[in-house]
Amino acid sequence: MKILICVKQVIDSQAPVTIDESGKWVKYGDSSPFRMNRYDEFAIEEALRIKETLNDVSVDAISVGPPRVSSTVRKAMEMGAEKGIHILTEGDFFITPFEVASTIASYVQTNNYALILTGAMSEDDMNSQVGQVIAEILNRPCATLVMHQEIREDKKEVYVEREIEGGKRECLNLQLPAVLTIQSGINIPRYPSLSNVLRARKAQILTIEATAMNIPAKREHLVALSYPEVSSRGTFIEGSQREKAKELVSILHEKSLI
Amino acid sequence: MKKQIAIIAEHHKESVVSATFEAVSFALELSNLTEAKPVIIVLGKSIKEMAENLSKKTGLDVVGIEGGPLEFYNAEQYKFTLKYYLESIDPEYICMTHTAMGLDLAPGLATRLDASCITAVEGIKSQDGKISFLRSMFGGKLRAEIMPKLKKSVITILPGAWKAQELDPMENGHVDIKAAPSSISTSRTITVKEAEEETLNLDDAEVIVAAGRGIGNEENLHLVKDLAKIFNKSAIGASKAVCDLGWLGYKHQIGMTGRTVSPRLYIACGISGSSQHISGMKDSQIVVSINIDPNAAIFNVSHYCIVEDLATFIPVLLEEFRNFVGTT
Ligand SMILES: Cc1cc2nc3c(=O)[nH]c(=O)nc-3n(C[C@H](O)[C@H](O)[C@H](O)COP(=O)(O)OP(=O)(O)OC[C@H]3O[C@@H](n4cnc5c(N)ncnc54)[C@H](O)[C@@H]3O)c2cc1C
Repeated sequence: MKILICVKQVIDSQAPVTIDESGKWVKYGDSSPFRMNRYDEFAIEEALRIKETLNDVSVDAISVGPPRVSSTVRKAMEMGAEKGIHILTEGDFFITPFEVASTIASYVQTNNYALILTGAMSEDDMNSQVGQVIAEILNRPCATLVMHQEIREDKKEVYVEREIEGGKRECLNLQLPAVLTIQSGINIPRYPSLSNVLRARKAQILTIEATAMNIPAKREHLVALSYPEVSSRGTFIEGSQREKAKELVSILHEKSLI
Repeated sequence: MKKQIAIIAEHHKESVVSATFEAVSFALELSNLTEAKPVIIVLGKSIKEMAENLSKKTGLDVVGIEGGPLEFYNAEQYKFTLKYYLESIDPEYICMTHTAMGLDLAPGLATRLDASCITAVEGIKSQDGKISFLRSMFGGKLRAEIMPKLKKSVITILPGAWKAQELDPMENGHVDIKAAPSSISTSRTITVKEAEEETLNLDDAEVIVAAGRGIGNEENLHLVKDLAKIFNKSAIGASKAVCDLGWLGYKHQIGMTGRTVSPRLYIACGISGSSQHISGMKDSQIVVSINIDPNAAIFNVSHYCIVEDLATFIPVLLEEFRNFVGTT
C-alpha cells in the first residue's frame, strides 16, 4: 500500500509579513524563516505510524512550489518519507488551492496511492481546501479534520473520527483509496532520527516542472492584500514592563476586576 | 428565473446550528448587492419541522431534502444530493458556514459543480458591479480580497463575521420537502460521539487566563496559573496548540473545537489569535492580551494590548498585583 503525504512550506507564524510592491503577495527574502506547515507534520507522523503497524506500506511526500520548498520535501524525508517529489512552479506568488490540488491529482493519476494525507489547513493561506479538491478530482472519498484513523486489515476501508465543534467526533468509514486531512493533536510528530537525516541528505528529490503538467486554469483570483484596520485594535499599554504592569493593575481595579 | 443564493443549513440533533443564521445574514447582504434571491436548503432524515421553523424565522423559501442516508452529515451524500438538486435552480452562490461541516463540504462541492470556492469569508466587497470576498491570511495578519472567476461560487462564512438577525418576517417562506435521490456511496457516517465528560467549570469563571504556544514550555505554565490565582472565580484556558503539545488537557481548550466562553475578563498569554480560537472567546467582556509580536491578530479583538515577552512580564505583573492587594 502506498501513502502520499502532501506537505507545504510556510513562513514561520511569528515572522513579520509585509505586502510586496504588486500588492498581491507578501515579500519574502533570503532570511525569511521558512518551515514545514505544522499540520503536515502531524500528517507525516500518522503515515509513518501506519507504515509501522501494517505490512508492506510505503510513504512518499510531495510539495508544489518554488525552488525553496525542496528543503521542506527533504524535511519530510528526514522524518521518514522514502521518496520526495517536488513539483516546481515558476515565481513565488499565491497559488490557489484548486491549482495545487489539480497538480497533485495529476501526479497521482500516474502513480497509484491508496491513501493521500494532507494537513487540515495551511498556516499561511488558511484555505483548508487542497485535500478535499484532490479527492473530488480523483473521485475518491475524503474526510477532513481527522483525529483518529484505523485501516481495516484487508486494506479496503479506513475508519476515521473527525474532530467537530465542541470536541465532538464524527465517525465514518471510507473505502480506499481515500484522502484524509489530518488535524493537529492526532499524534506527537517525531524528531528525525540521525540515520534518517543522513539517508535523506543523500537521497534525490524527484523534481517535475509544473509547466510540463497540464493544469487547469485557476478558479479564483487574488485581487489585493491589505493590513487589518488599525481602528479594530485595542489600546496598547505603553512604557516599561513595570509601568505597563502598574497601568494594567489600575485598569482592572477601575473595572472592579480586582 | 431570478438568480439565486443557496444557503446550506447545518443542524445537529434536529436543531439548526446558530451559525446558519449568520449565513442567512451574509446571504441577505449579498442579495442586496446582486439582487439574487436567497433560498435555504436543509438535508436530513427528518427535517420537516426544521424547514418550517427556518421559513418562519427568516421568511425565506426553504427546500428540504429528506432521506435515510442523510441522517448524519456525510460529504459524499451531501455532494451527490446537492449536485442533483442545485442543477435545477442553478444558483449563482452557494453558501454555508466555515464549520467542520462547511469546510469539509465546500471545496469538493465546488469542484463537482465547476464553481469557484472561497473559504472563511469575513466580508463582501462590491465594486463596478463586481463582487469579491474578504478573508484572513497569515494568522489574521493580512486580509486578502478574492474574486471568483467562474459563474458559480461556493462560499464558506467565518462564524462570528456576520450577526444572526431577528428578522421578524411578515410572511413565512414557502416550504418544499423532496425525497433524496438514491445513491451508493464510498463513505458512510456511522455516528457522532459526544465530547468527553467535562470536569472543568469554565462557564462559572469570571476570569479566564489562557495559555498559548507562546508560553514556550510546560514549566512556564506556573506563570499563567499564578496569574489566575490573583482573581476570585478564575480558571485556566488554553489554545489548541497548548493542548496538542500535552501541556494542558483538552478540557481547557477554548475555541471552535473546544469550549465557548464569555467571562468578564479574558487574559490571553502568548496566543496568536487564530479565527478558530477567537470564535470561542470573542464574547468576553474585557480581553487583555500579552504577546511579543506587535502584529499578532489577537490584538484585533483585545481591549488592552501588551507587547511584551510574557516570561519576563508576567512576574512583574504578579508583583504589581501583590503590591496593590497589599496596600488596599
Ligand atoms: C478546524 C480547526 C479547528 C481549530 N479549533 C481550535 C480551537 O478550538 N481552539 C484553538 O485555540 N485553536 C484551534 N485551532 C488551531 C488554530 O488554528 C491555531 O493553530 C491555534 O489556535 C494556535 O495556538 P496559539 O495561538 O497558542 O499558537 P501560535 O499560533 O503558534 O501562537 C503563539 C503566539 O505566541 C506569541 N509568543 C511567542 N513567544 C512569546 C513570548 N515569549 N511572550 C509572549 N508571546 C509570545 C507569538 O507571537 C504568537 O502570536 C483549530 C484549527 C482548525 C483547522
